[in-house]
Amino acid sequence: MEDYAEELRTPPVTLIYLVGCPDLHPTISSYLHSEQPPINTLALPDFSKISILGRTQKETVDSGQHGGILKRDWLLKHRTKVPAVVAALFSSDQVSGDPAQWLQVCTDLENLKIVVRGRNIKLVVVLVQSTDKDEVSEDRMIALRKRAEIDSKYLIFFIHNDASELTESLNRLGGALAELANLYYRDEGRRIKTRIEKKNFNHIELNIRYCFKVAVYAEFRRDWVEALRFYEDAYRALREMVGTSTRLPPIQRLVEIKIVAEILHFKMSTLLLHGGKVVEAVVWFQQHIVSYKTLVGAPEVVFLHWDWMSRQFLVFAELLETSAAAIPNTSSLILGSSERLLSEWEFHPAYYYELAAHYMREKRYCLEVALSPSETLKRIESSSESVIQYVFVGQFARLLEQGEAFVMQTLTDAEYVHYALAEGKRFQDSYEIIALLKKSFESYGNLKARRMASYCGSQMAREYFTLGEFSNAKSLFDGVASLYRKEGWITLLWEVLGYLRECSRRLGSVKDFIEYSLEMAALPISSVAESSSCKGEYGPAGSPALPQREMIHKEVFGLVKGEPILTSDEGNCNLAITDDQPLHLEIDLVSPLRVVLLASVAFHDQVVKPGVPISLTLSLLSQLPHPVEIDQLEIQFNQSECNFIITSAPKETVGASSVGETDTRLDSVPNLNLVTNKWLRLTFDIISEQSGKLECLSVIAKLGPYLTICCRAESPASMDDLPLWKYEDLVQTFPTRDPALAFSGQKVVQVEEPDPQVDLVLDATGPAFVGERFLVPVTVTSKGHAIYSGELKINLVDARGGGLVSPREAEPFSMDSHHVELLGISEPDGESEFQAGMDNIKKIQQSFGLLPIPFIKLGDSWCCKLEIKWNRPKPIMLYVSLGYLPNSEAGAQTVNVHKSLQIEGKTAVAMGHRLMLPYRRHPLLLSKIQVASESDHSPSLALNETNILIVSAKNCSEVPLRLMSMSIEMNDDEIGHSCTVQQGGDSPLDNARLVPGEEFKQVFSIIPQLSFPKLAMGTVSLRWSREFGFEEQSCSSLTATKVLTCYKLPDVNVEMVPLIVSLECPPHAVLGSPFTFYVKIQNETVLLQEFKHSLGDSQSFVLSGIHNDTIFVLPKSQHILGYKLVPLVSGLLQLPRVTVTSLRYSAELQPSLSASTIFVFPCKPQFMVDDMGSKLPEPIAT
Amino acid sequence: MASTACFIIVSRNDIPIYEAEVGSALKKEEAAHQHQFILNAALDIVQDIAWNTSAMFLKAVDRFNDLVVFFQEVHELYIKILLNPLYLPGSRITSSHFDTKVRGLARKYL
Repeated sequence: MEDYAEELRTPPVTLIYLVGCPDLHPTISSYLHSEQPPINTLALPDFSKISILGRTQKETVDSGQHGGILKRDWLLKHRTKVPAVVAALFSSDQVSGDPAQWLQVCTDLENLKIVVRGRNIKLVVVLVQSTDKDEVSEDRMIALRKRAEIDSKYLIFFIHNDASELTESLNRLGGALAELANLYYRDEGRRIKTRIEKKNFNHIELNIRYCFKVAVYAEFRRDWVEALRFYEDAYRALREMVGTSTRLPPIQRLVEIKIVAEILHFKMSTLLLHGGKVVEAVVWFQQHIVSYKTLVGAPEVVFLHWDWMSRQFLVFAELLETSAAAIPNTSSLILGSSERLLSEWEFHPAYYYELAAHYMREKRYCLEVALSPSETLKRIESSSESVIQYVFVGQFARLLEQGEAFVMQTLTDAEYVHYALAEGKRFQDSYEIIALLKKSFESYGNLKARRMASYCGSQMAREYFTLGEFSNAKSLFDGVASLYRKEGWITLLWEVLGYLRECSRRLGSVKDFIEYSLEMAALPISSVAESSSCKGEYGPAGSPALPQREMIHKEVFGLVKGEPILTSDEGNCNLAITDDQPLHLEIDLVSPLRVVLLASVAFHDQVVKPGVPISLTLSLLSQLPHPVEIDQLEIQFNQSECNFIITSAPKETVGASSVGETDTRLDSVPNLNLVTNKWLRLTFDIISEQSGKLECLSVIAKLGPYLTICCRAESPASMDDLPLWKYEDLVQTFPTRDPALAFSGQKVVQVEEPDPQVDLVLDATGPAFVGERFLVPVTVTSKGHAIYSGELKINLVDARGGGLVSPREAEPFSMDSHHVELLGISEPDGESEFQAGMDNIKKIQQSFGLLPIPFIKLGDSWCCKLEIKWNRPKPIMLYVSLGYLPNSEAGAQTVNVHKSLQIEGKTAVAMGHRLMLPYRRHPLLLSKIQVASESDHSPSLALNETNILIVSAKNCSEVPLRLMSMSIEMNDDEIGHSCTVQQGGDSPLDNARLVPGEEFKQVFSIIPQLSFPKLAMGTVSLRWSREFGFEEQSCSSLTATKVLTCYKLPDVNVEMVPLIVSLECPPHAVLGSPFTFYVKIQNETVLLQEFKHSLGDSQSFVLSGIHNDTIFVLPKSQHILGYKLVPLVSGLLQLPRVTVTSLRYSAELQPSLSASTIFVFPCKPQFMVDDMGSKLPEPIAT
Repeated sequence: MASTACFIIVSRNDIPIYEAEVGSALKKEEAAHQHQFILNAALDIVQDIAWNTSAMFLKAVDRFNDLVVFFQEVHELYIKILLNPLYLPGSRITSSHFDTKVRGLARKYL
């Protein structure tokens, strides 16, 4: 596209002239240029220069001829020389000045008019005023207008001293100029259009020229539709000319037509693409190509045709690329065009670039053919220099010097052919082709069309190859080869590899040459499949067939053995592997060279003890067409002391094993020949002393004196198939003789640790109790190993699975989150200080501990205790592992001993409580009546009454416990002294022993002193310890630790008591002797209370008193009912039942059965008579 | 136009499993396997279409009506090959019978 002149590439811009008042020209020009659409200005300083507008002599002469279709400079002339409008600027003083000045103005105008009228150029007169004020007289104005013969609106006042006035003046001037320019171009266009319509021409060339001109004038007016129409007309007329014109010699005639067609088509494409009509543009382009493709022309200048074709594609590609932004989504375009399906590629420049390259190659080929007769070459040299382009587009002429003047002379076809050949020779077509392909390659690459890109890439690389730029070619071919390798297009890969091999040969790169050669030799190409399809010219690879592979194989192994290969056909530079540059090839898991050498390594077992031999099978496979002889194999492991070397030297076996400079083991086998597609299996025994992983890393094969191939070892179990050979017809064999091993064999073996010779003993007696610091003694006894830098690791794990923190319970106990924690490790006294001296790290966390242990001599033992505390009853697993070094040498390996122990955690003491009311005293608790239905409300206590609390502690463990103290502690934050608690009973606990299953009870009396619905009673603290038997205590150094068990008492509801009913009777009675039984009803309220009471009969007693009655009790007073009873039977007797009912609260108060029993002695007991009197009231009160 | 045709069956993994070049010889200046290079590049378009439609039959053939019979017959032959229990799907078709038949069909229809 850059070859085209500027005027063709860009849309034409209106041109105007400015004459006079030169100081204003810059302002006006810049303003007009920035207008939309822009206007170009040509400024003439004064009127004397106006004559350049006049027609030259030559022009007038030429216009009469019809020598060609389009004139070369016509468009340029209209863009740069012939204006649409001339603006004549006169200052106001000139116009309104003295007669001499006015006369001058008139003369200038006359001259201008003469020039302008010849071309129908429009005229604008501008009157320049410095301010609004300096008026020009009306007469002069009219006179000026008449002189200029212009309409009054084209006489413009231009005021330049005031900014706002200036803008307005500029606007006015711009508007007038644009309008007149439009008018001018329309008139011109119309003038020529009438000629077309009247068919006022003798030659078809003129028709085309007129159409072209009309279209250009339309373009000036930005009337794209009309422009396009006339370009199309011109194009069609031109196509008709092909067979009919006889004007020029045939070759040049066709050249001219094609060049004009190119210009017309370029214009049309530009207009269509800028209008966003991509589909139309593409369709037009296809028609263009179809209609001209066959116009090949004379055989000697066929190359011109292909050159032209190539240019069409290139230009269209560039146009598409530049207007790419305007193109909407291409997929919608394809659907849109219904009449013919356009493929997606036809909207991408890449496609056109590629075809341009294709035709360029065609051109080069034809040019070579045309140039081949050598004598033509020489002849051209002399005659071609003076040929230049003729005045008409697409025509050429010879410039002859005739004295002073130059004369154009038309050419004959023969002369033109010479000229064209000479021109064609000047260009480096190959670079052009490469540039085109490169664009296409990049463009396809951006479209993610890798295969198309590869195709372009391979063509490009081939061009480089023919040019002799082998490094460029090689890098491109490398990229292409990787795609074909991946997709398995073997023939193409073969072809590309052939080029690569040749490139590396020419570049003298031995390594690449050998790699490519080996890969080619191992490609799955069988001679049968390919024999029929081979036509055309082969690349350097030759025909893809087995003999060729064999040839390459022989060549490369010849090179390996020291036979040099010539790097180039004529050069004397050799490609050889030498002593000082040995060659090393690496084959990894993704290398294409896996087909050349594949190493699979399988251990026969998965684990092995240190020092015990294990069998290892090494299998090698090659797909090279001929057997390969390996001189030496080295097998490398991650434990380098296991490395060994295999040689194939059956004769001098003794010599091999005695080579002792290195420790590497040497083996020899009779045969190290690799036959095509046949596993070479070798089995050896390996001994590893070091525990851990033993992995085979690589196998290094030595071929010939200087070539080594390092092949990554692969496990047969996880080995991939050879990618290209996967689908070939060949015998599938297993890498190992044992098929099971072929499926499961690994190149890794686990070497176990040496057996530990140390005892680790965990002693634990019985279950642990919650709250206790439970001690687990750990004893380490050395039996066969001394222990160096030993380390104990302790882990606590929930035995039932799950963590020590259960998720459900984690939230309320977030503070002490661990149910079981490791508190510490106590060490034997003597050594703990020694330990502290060493800065060994001792880490103890809640469920994990790390403890270094000191050096222990052979036969010694060492002991420590783990302190574990249970916060909840939970069984746990205790894991203790000891890691140590059996000796102090540097390479010693850690030996590990593991022990585990399950320990139950149990609750030792089950605590309970009971609240009781005082004996034979029944306060009426209103809450009991009101919310009787609710079951879970807290127990209620009566205010200021003595309540009894019994706390029990039961030993639920299997060992006896010793209780130390039990007390109730009030929390500080609760309301202080809201109740008084007294410990009942006289004796302190004095280390009560509690055997398993026994229950201990303690009585407390509580007198609430505040009426409060939720009164906290505090926490019972029980201190106890495990009671060890005498033997246990003496034999182990366990000391009993004091354990505190807390029991939170529930909150109680304390309320006022309105009524209290109490029974009063002696603690016992004697048969036959009367006693008195009182029922006291106390009214604590300030109201009069009404009661009903009744007394049931009893056969055991004779009784006196009121049976049924209704009584009133005054506020804050007490009513006493007294009954006299005489027991008739002895033993434990039920007193007559008394029922008191409060009418106000409709509550019935009935003493419980236990409260209304009495023991009757058969006769008066003698021994307790004395105590009786003093002790009688006491037990009731507590 | 004396054309040559190159017919290739490509397996699912983009590997060509059958190739046949039918028709007259190539032009001299063209490199060997030119057709294969072009066919490989054409797979891009096939892939594009295959992603855009769910149909098995892509129909992106220039001269669809002329070629459809040929393709149907070759498809039938291919199915016969697939039915062979010794043929591993995806591997190269080496049957000479298949080859002769395809070439015969090509002469007949192309």
